[in-house]
Amino acid sequence: MRGSVRVLGVLAAFAILFGACAGSAAPAGGAASAAPAAAKAAPGGSVTFVLENDVIDFDPMRSRAFVDRNVHYQIYDSLVRIDATGKIVPWLAEKWDTAADGKAVTFSLRKDVKYHDGTAFDAESVKWNIDRYMKTTGSARAGELASVDSVTVVDPATVRFNLKTPFSPLLANLVDRAGMMVSKAVAEAAGADFTRKAFKAGSGPFVLTEAVKDDHMTLEKNPSWWGKDKDGSKLPYLDKITVKPITNSDVRLTNVKTGDAQVANNIAGKDVAVVKTDPALTYQQIASYAFDSMIPNRAKGFVFEEGRYVRAVAMALDRKEILDKWAFGVGAVGYGTIAPGHFAADPSFKPFEKPDPEGAKKLIAEVGKPLSFELLISAGDPAGLQLAQLMQAQLAKADIKTEIQQLEFAKILELQSKHEFKGITLVGWSGRVDPDGNTYDHLYSGKPFNDSSYSNKDVDRLLDEQRATSDPEKRKTALRAAEKIYVQDDPARVWYRFRAVQLLTVKKLQGLEAYPDSLIRFQYGWLQK
Amino acid sequence: MTAYVIRRLLLMVPVAFLVTVIVFALVRLSPGDPVLVYAGEERDPVSLDALRKAYGLDQPMPVQYAVWIGHAVQGDLGRSLRTTQPVREAILERVPATLLLGGTALLLSISVALVVGTLSAVKPNSPLDLLATGFTLAGVSLPNFFLGLILILLFSLVVRVFPPGGYVAIAADPGDALRHLVLPAITLATASMAVNVRQVRSSLLDVFGQEYIRTARAKGLGETRVVFRHALKNALIPVVTIIGLQIGAIIEGAIITETIFFWPGIGRLAVDSIGGRDYPVVQAIVLLSALSFMASTLVVDLLYATLDPRISFSGSRA
Repeated sequence: MRGSVRVLGVLAAFAILFGACAGSAAPAGGAASAAPAAAKAAPGGSVTFVLENDVIDFDPMRSRAFVDRNVHYQIYDSLVRIDATGKIVPWLAEKWDTAADGKAVTFSLRKDVKYHDGTAFDAESVKWNIDRYMKTTGSARAGELASVDSVTVVDPATVRFNLKTPFSPLLANLVDRAGMMVSKAVAEAAGADFTRKAFKAGSGPFVLTEAVKDDHMTLEKNPSWWGKDKDGSKLPYLDKITVKPITNSDVRLTNVKTGDAQVANNIAGKDVAVVKTDPALTYQQIASYAFDSMIPNRAKGFVFEEGRYVRAVAMALDRKEILDKWAFGVGAVGYGTIAPGHFAADPSFKPFEKPDPEGAKKLIAEVGKPLSFELLISAGDPAGLQLAQLMQAQLAKADIKTEIQQLEFAKILELQSKHEFKGITLVGWSGRVDPDGNTYDHLYSGKPFNDSSYSNKDVDRLLDEQRATSDPEKRKTALRAAEKIYVQDDPARVWYRFRAVQLLTVKKLQGLEAYPDSLIRFQYGWLQK
Repeated sequence: MTAYVIRRLLLMVPVAFLVTVIVFALVRLSPGDPVLVYAGEERDPVSLDALRKAYGLDQPMPVQYAVWIGHAVQGDLGRSLRTTQPVREAILERVPATLLLGGTALLLSISVALVVGTLSAVKPNSPLDLLATGFTLAGVSLPNFFLGLILILLFSLVVRVFPPGGYVAIAADPGDALRHLVLPAITLATASMAVNVRQVRSSLLDVFGQEYIRTARAKGLGETRVVFRHALKNALIPVVTIIGLQIGAIIEGAIITETIFFWPGIGRLAVDSIGGRDYPVVQAIVLLSALSFMASTLVVDLLYATLDPRISFSGSRA
């Protein structure tokens, strides 16, 4: 009698706890209701945006984290921007002209722009900003502006960039942080604290008024923003955006479901099916510029110095299975650096469409020695471990032996930067508007992101060519020719996936569209009453 | 007693120094370059080298230590390598939230432990005892993050009583602050609760076996008086030790609970800083934690004197 009461007591505790799990999560939705007929955008209202990490640097000069841009795009304007198709469109610059020799680009600036602190935006301000990005010690933008020799103020609304050599990706770089304009008055007053306290420093649709580390950021409507919608009404519509950094994806999704947040742009693959069928939510997913790749160490003395080994891995990998099983179908199969949304994309380029373990085996037999290597992944990353195990299983079909090694993230970074990792590491890249941004610094000999120590004279020549010409057809040809080399003939890495841009909003929040750079244009968002 | 307290306080100083030397060496000897971790996606070597120089990371270790300790004794704990925020500010920002959560969880844990532990000890092996044991064991066996997520699921999603996370300062809005505090405090308290319940229970049972308790009962004193007047005070001595350690641990923060409930506490800062090799922040937090433990053990030792008249500080029999 005593014993069974004791057992009952413990069982009761467990039953209560596990019973709670049963009646769970999202209501099974019917088909998502059709979008309501285009209603007139109503001004007013506040939304909360849950972000996957806190913003580290509000100063575009120092910013090195992709996540920072989510807030930068709301508070700063750039010289140019992209539209939803990825085409470069006027922003602070109304039009631009490239000199015939490609060594100068002249911008005509808008005349109705003021910074949030009231100071005027003009050509002097552009020069000050670009000089700051180029010349400040430790500036993270120096590489993007390396081709710029100097900036000349022609008149208050005209500014000229003088280039050292022709550089066609310049405009693409000015879309983002390297082209963001900040108020000199605010930056100089804040000094070293500017990167954490960039209040009223931009000219964008929203003003940064509050930032509490790891807690929240407050962005308030800029009533004198110059942007207007199609009918000529002033943008933005929303009064306030509260940005909350929440690193756990389950907690982020819960916040959206409970109505504590209205927007999220990073949904775990396992939750996609659920949010798609939730009638209270709108889920958008489009192709991104970001890619995932396996980086072999191709330096002298390492296993993958032998190019045929890299090819063998590229042949044996089953990219479709990785996409479906590991990424829950989110994204697209990828073979190289040119993303589906890039102008140079070639939809017919599918060098390793079907996994070919037999072909891989033959190639390895040619080399003479069986392939066995170390696959490095970050410790404490369960998703990374799953991916590594999937790859291990796929490569085993080609008799390739993969040893999975878990190391701490900082240690992996150190090994990578010293080019001392023994086998392969898994590295992603957040993607850039211009394919040059996905390619040049990753594959050109000796460049900072060339972790595989890859060096191919023809690739170097072609990459330099595509930079020097502004003719899109010539660039396309050169980029595609280079990609064929570094993916197939003399592989630098093994690419396997392009990521996807995700945008999750509650139904009453209208007007937000997914862009291929994954950044949300909140100025078009409005709340249905 | 004053002499004792002064001696203890003076002893904290060399211990604190030793702690700073150890953590300084450990964190800089671990592989990984803070500038590289901070570099994120923009890794051109020239700007990274410039950063290293700016942070003084290219100096030999003893020089770096001398610079740091020189500033630290004046109260300047440097700036975070990742965010450039002054370290003192970064920690002070998080102290209220950490103390609120840690303090509330500890109070909750102690209150429940005293009540449940006492009842369990008074009626050992009764259904109440077994139920209490079952619940507290379940609480400590469930991983912290799992319990937290379940609580959010139940009380934020299914039944919308509490918010799914976030922190509101007591000063700003006491009612809302309490609403935000409930779930994380419960999650954090359950781990120490089981330990404290068992400690109170076994300690009381020990005391119940003592002769003076039998004497008290034989004198005809009511059970309540026996328990509260005589037994509990003595039973609390080992409990006070454990709770003292838990108090010292509050300042370390509660990493998992803070992450799940999106609570801006010191725990998350510590973990992020270690992973990011943010040396100044790690050093400051460890130093603070060591000081906190030393202070709380001192308080516990002083408390012994009130609880147990047999203890004196002069070293000779009272």
